Amino acid sequence: MTTQTLRAPDRASVSAGSARQKLDFKSGNEAAALAARDIGFHMMGYFPITPSTEIAENLSKMGANGEHEIVMVAGDGEHGAAGICYGAALAGGRVLNATSAQGLLYSLEQLPVQAGTRVPMVLNIAARAISGPLDIRGDHSDIYYALNTGWIMLCARDPQAVYDMNFAAIKIGEHAEVRLPVLIAFDGFITSHQKRRIQVFDDPEAVSAFLGKRPDYPSPLDTEHPRTFGPYMNDPDLINNKVQQWQAMEAARRVIPEVFAELEKLTGRAYPMLDAYRMADAEVAVVLINSAAETAKETADQLRAKRKKVGVLSPNVLRPFPAEEFRTALKRTKVITIGDRADSYGADGGNLSLEVRAAIQRDPQNHAQVLSRVYGLGGKDFYAEDAEQFFAQAIAAAGPAHIAEPFAYHGATPGRPERKAPAGLPPIRAEEVSRGMAKVRRNEATGRLEVELAPLWKMTEVPNRIGPGHGACPGCGAFPTLHQAYNVMEGDVVVLFQTGCAMVVTTGYPTTAHRINYVHNLFQNGAATLSGMVEMYHERVRRGELPASRDITFVMVSGDGGMDIGMGPAIGAANRNHRMMILEYDNQGYMNTGAQLSYSTPFGHRTSTSEVGPVLQGKRYHHKDTAQVFAACHLPYVFTASEGYPEDLMRKVAKAQFYAKNEGLVYGKILSFCPLNWRTADDAAQPVMQAAIDSCFFPLYEVEHGHTTLNYDPDASGRRHPVSDWLGLMGKTRYLLKGENAEIVAAIQAETDRRWARIKAMHEHPLL
Amino acid sequence: MSRPADLPGGERFFEVRFESIGGLGAHAAGQVLASAAVLRMGLNGAHFSSYGSEKKGSLVRSFVRLGPSERPIRTSAPVETPDAIVVFHAALLHNPATFAGLLKEGTFIYNAPPGPVPEVLAALPRTARVIRVDALAIAMQEKSRPNAVLLGTLCGQFPFLDSEIILEALSEEFAGRHPEAVASNERAFRRGATDFEEIPGVGRAESDLPIARGEPAWGYRTQPEGGIIPEPGNMAWNDLSASRTGLIPVLDRDKCIHCGMCDLVCPDYCLAWGDGAEGGKYERELVGVDYRYCKGCLRCVESCPTGALTREIEQPGLAERLRVPLFPGFIT
Repeated sequence: MTTQTLRAPDRASVSAGSARQKLDFKSGNEAAALAARDIGFHMMGYFPITPSTEIAENLSKMGANGEHEIVMVAGDGEHGAAGICYGAALAGGRVLNATSAQGLLYSLEQLPVQAGTRVPMVLNIAARAISGPLDIRGDHSDIYYALNTGWIMLCARDPQAVYDMNFAAIKIGEHAEVRLPVLIAFDGFITSHQKRRIQVFDDPEAVSAFLGKRPDYPSPLDTEHPRTFGPYMNDPDLINNKVQQWQAMEAARRVIPEVFAELEKLTGRAYPMLDAYRMADAEVAVVLINSAAETAKETADQLRAKRKKVGVLSPNVLRPFPAEEFRTALKRTKVITIGDRADSYGADGGNLSLEVRAAIQRDPQNHAQVLSRVYGLGGKDFYAEDAEQFFAQAIAAAGPAHIAEPFAYHGATPGRPERKAPAGLPPIRAEEVSRGMAKVRRNEATGRLEVELAPLWKMTEVPNRIGPGHGACPGCGAFPTLHQAYNVMEGDVVVLFQTGCAMVVTTGYPTTAHRINYVHNLFQNGAATLSGMVEMYHERVRRGELPASRDITFVMVSGDGGMDIGMGPAIGAANRNHRMMILEYDNQGYMNTGAQLSYSTPFGHRTSTSEVGPVLQGKRYHHKDTAQVFAACHLPYVFTASEGYPEDLMRKVAKAQFYAKNEGLVYGKILSFCPLNWRTADDAAQPVMQAAIDSCFFPLYEVEHGHTTLNYDPDASGRRHPVSDWLGLMGKTRYLLKGENAEIVAAIQAETDRRWARIKAMHEHPLL
Repeated sequence: MSRPADLPGGERFFEVRFESIGGLGAHAAGQVLASAAVLRMGLNGAHFSSYGSEKKGSLVRSFVRLGPSERPIRTSAPVETPDAIVVFHAALLHNPATFAGLLKEGTFIYNAPPGPVPEVLAALPRTARVIRVDALAIAMQEKSRPNAVLLGTLCGQFPFLDSEIILEALSEEFAGRHPEAVASNERAFRRGATDFEEIPGVGRAESDLPIARGEPAWGYRTQPEGGIIPEPGNMAWNDLSASRTGLIPVLDRDKCIHCGMCDLVCPDYCLAWGDGAEGGKYERELVGVDYRYCKGCLRCVESCPTGALTREIEQPGLAERLRVPLFPGFIT
């Protein structure tokens, strides 16, 4: 959508500011990306997480088209992304990050480091409920964790504020007396995904005059002035560092209104520390953060029309907390309902509630009654009638009867005894699934396992450990992968799925597709979690608390994305050699969040964070060789497979179960079809995966006690094709076949050939 | 031409709800409409959709809220009392939430081929305008998508939604990446504005329809602690037929050699198998498809070595007639 074609330039929608501006229609995420482009950050370090991912996606698209020169670095997880940003910011440039929910918590450990060492940058947070259970929608439980990090916290109530505050954040954070990182919190989905009319700068000179140059803070890149950054500092020194941090935050109290005032001159839009709506004579106030406050303003208008003296307060700045502004605004208020979109369990109120109460407690004249309400958790919408109830409860409390609960959850459902989730299918007993579909024997001469598979039709006797009804996309390859693997597993199986497509689509509360015991943990930690379960199982068997006869097999299922962010714990589990199996369905990207690049995405492939345009052509580095990483852990068994070769896959899974029960950790990487994001027809799995394997891009092999065996050699069978035959079959890579991209194809071919030759050499040589 | 004065409703916003399945383009339709209204017609507006993770085939609602330029849009809540509801897939008519909140003078547009009027439409207000358009057929004829057709139908019903301006926005949306689609989308849009059927006397309800906010199955007094689901496999109650987009696999048992290949590639676990007849040729036999779960990917057809599974156009009632339930007597 261009913004040039406005037919009806109307005065009401164009604010009066000194800078040239133009109208646009953008979501909060798009606004953040546009602001980043207009600011011209040096670098963005990020890791995709719903609902903030679109910021990096939009920037990737704009970058491919040459609209900005921000260096985009995809972290291995949010912790890595925060580290990338910290290093980049320390090195002296302007740095951007974006995250949500667990992503913020996973990076949390880095945030105080950055504040304490006084390194400014900007972090956009599309606020979302934290796990568990996992919920992808909006609330404020993530941002409340940032309250004690030492970062300045701005709250953006709508897409316009997201855009504006990114500019302010640079200027506030880089101010000589402040020098702190700044985060901007806006409501996930509600603001991140809702498009609104906004104004954006059309005036690069005004923007750069406003921002100025980044001050030259001491930098490790200044080799002429050697300095030590981040020393070991105990008492009595640390407290003094913290006094400086507190002073910086107090300085921000002065600086923030100055910066907002300067921005207002440019844009005509004002952001007071505390937004006060119809508060001048209000006897009843509702206090809310971000979008809910806007909803409450409409309700306040309606109540004012009925001569009720009501108003709405909402902070534009949460750190430093505008306590004085709250005291002033609430001087004459009789009752205040404070809504928190997250609880501080056991504290008798969410954080906003506690802090407002603390603020007015300093005013001895203020005897306002405060009602603390926890609302809107996990994306529960906040409607006008919710605001009406907040006001009504306050008005009732202000009345003669003073009736009100001081603390309550608003909008929860008690549930009714007669209402239940849909009834489950009969559980699957171990005997029913143990039908000898794969007989595993050790060849005493070679020490290796041999497998005899039952005919494929016979496998239809095995009840599936996952039932139908799941919400995967049509044609999804993760489910044939799982079905094939389950067909040959015997006995009791306990699965742990890491976050990802197969997890999300099989467990939408209150329903589950799993018919056996299933556990989810977040993908940065699944392998560690399962390893704990494995060890507890064996210990409880040893103590006689559980029967040894069940002989449970432990299986972790992950996407390739989970093997990026979860690589550390997975390697840890591999090094400890627990008796468990890790199966990775590799669809070459973070498909659950909309097809961002993973480290397993091949070179040149288009994803939503490795876009294709005149300036950039897909992913800029080669795919991770995860199977070889695990082979280097000297595991009993490592394999690659594809759902396109079911018999090969099932043979390997049968061996995997034997090793996982008897020897130690097994890792299997399984190429799985993703028609939506590979951009193919839903039924194109077979030709596409065949081409990937025939091109030797994805060799089928196994490493058994260190011995590599190629299971399929396209050279020997005369079926070898160039990688271009495979790349031409997918919409995500078809662009590569244009002449101007020949170098990229040649690079994929060269890397494929090199890795293939190594595998072949390993296959041929007993010691490799 | 900017005609905000023609916005219906006065105090209210003009609100539209698109009811759809992921992949049909409801989100794009809402975006084109709202951005045209804001950037080209001088209105104020908001657009958003409700969906979960990035999956094709799941329920999507897209919301458009429009008002006069000077009126701020403060609420960000979903559209609950729409002036117009546009239904992208006839299967959604069986979900009562599809109709929820329609104003009694509202407009109800649904995508379906000509045929008997579904009985469920009696739930609509008596005074609502009810419009059927065969958006899929028009889209296929014009090499476009149903969303272009439905957008044309919608704009045709509300003169203040200037069709020419919205068409410009639609064309611009495609001009960059799919220039070949511009002309076909325009034809589809224009046919949507004219080739529809207004169905009189359908609704029975006497007032605005009530809004629907689902009550969860379990509440805090009844939800098992820790979020545990103690009902294995209860997702089997889901009905995924609406995920299909016009094609289904059909089994010809005479041609089937019951090899089991299809079973290994079916992502939806919807193939029904049974023991073969005693003394017969096959120990296990593929009996049919439980179309309740089939999303129509046709991987089974692609894998079939004998042509026993074929791709067929899903005529109304075909899947119901051929369906072989996987859990007979339990989920019927």
